[in-house]
Amino acid sequence: MLLLQVNPSSGLPLYLQIEAQIKHRVAAGALKPDDQLPSVRRLATELAINPNTVARAYQELERDGIIRTAQGEGTFVADGMSQLLKSERLRRLGPLAAQLAVEAHHLRLSEKEIVEMVQEEFKKLGGKP
Amino acid sequence: MTDTAIETGGLTKVYGRLRAVDELTLHVPRGSVYGFLGRNGAGKTTTMRLLLGLARPTSGTAHVFGLEAGRQQLEILERTAFVAEGKVLYDYMTPLELVRFASGFYPRWSREAVEKYARVLDIPMRQKFSKLSNGNRTKVCVLLALAQNADLLVLDEPSTGLDPVMIDDVLRVLLDEQTAEGRTVFFSSHQLAEVEQIADWIGIIDQGRLLLEARLEDIKNDYRVVVAGGNGLPVALSAQVVSAVKAERFTRYIITSGAEAFAAGLRQQGAASVEMFPLNLREFFLEIVRKEDTCTFGKSGAKTGYASSLS
Repeated sequence: MLLLQVNPSSGLPLYLQIEAQIKHRVAAGALKPDDQLPSVRRLATELAINPNTVARAYQELERDGIIRTAQGEGTFVADGMSQLLKSERLRRLGPLAAQLAVEAHHLRLSEKEIVEMVQEEFKKLGGKP
Repeated sequence: MTDTAIETGGLTKVYGRLRAVDELTLHVPRGSVYGFLGRNGAGKTTTMRLLLGLARPTSGTAHVFGLEAGRQQLEILERTAFVAEGKVLYDYMTPLELVRFASGFYPRWSREAVEKYARVLDIPMRQKFSKLSNGNRTKVCVLLALAQNADLLVLDEPSTGLDPVMIDDVLRVLLDEQTAEGRTVFFSSHQLAEVEQIADWIGIIDQGRLLLEARLEDIKNDYRVVVAGGNGLPVALSAQVVSAVKAERFTRYIITSGAEAFAAGLRQQGAASVEMFPLNLREFFLEIVRKEDTCTFGKSGAKTGYASSLS
């Protein structure tokens, strides 16, 4: 069991909540490559939500190369090597970086403080790139 | 005068072998809207009956406005209105007739309240009870309670049989009219969303015992679910941990305060991932009550709570 937490009243769609939590755990190393994930049906039952919602989260995660599905075997954490080009990976994070800079400006936080904050988050993930 | 409306100490009621209420210690602050939650058969109704002196405690004490339940019965009933769960109404009467009949029994009866709430709650006052829907019967009972102008309203499942619009009407009335006057509302319910909407205090009872009593604000602001990934994480309960559930490599904690420090502590103890989430009342209730089931820690047992506690 993954003990994922979904909250229908949080404002964030359920599939995104699932996606974010699995992404976080893979990044932090709590879920490792080749770890098996529960089937769509089982996770849906565990969370008491519609299986289509879980299926959508899995599809998105698979598209991003975070998990992989092996026919007839199940769903696994992928080996962590993103298939995407570096330029594409950078492009994806662009809007988040822009938003971070803008919010930091309005909150009167310095560039240094923001960099330290991000470093702190990397540290929480276990210092892996 | 005390600032608690209801106070019990070690309140216990035993029926044969069943400990319906077991060492219950409640504090209901004056002026609060207190949601009393529990599954069917948890002891909610028995507690209410004990408070009103309709049943005698086996041991322990109960005080309402500092008056001793069972001994100062009349004084308590003068200041308390009670809506019981099983509503017995006379089929051949109309709400209007019943209101006239009932008014004679209560010294503080308010005709203005009757007129106002009959209108607000949209009650067909001239229709015989035999022709009234369950929802309308419930509303009449709430009306009778409101008209008594009581300092304390004790409502056992006030929303039973009401549709969502009716529930909303009743909640509005209870909130606006009652708490504005500094009255205390003590009500039991299964409708967690409705409790979340109006209660400022909650108490959770299971198998006759009080599992938790807290300000709803504190639950929303400070209580957190913390899910940690990693082997060998502690499941021992410290003061701030309400529950801890381990499932394979992940452990889920519910804590009452200090989430950040708690998360940092878990990381130091080797947790690879730590996530924090706020709780809504439904999740909180399921977690707390389910913890009492012996099968919580098994894989299949996790589902048992849903159907019954949401009925």
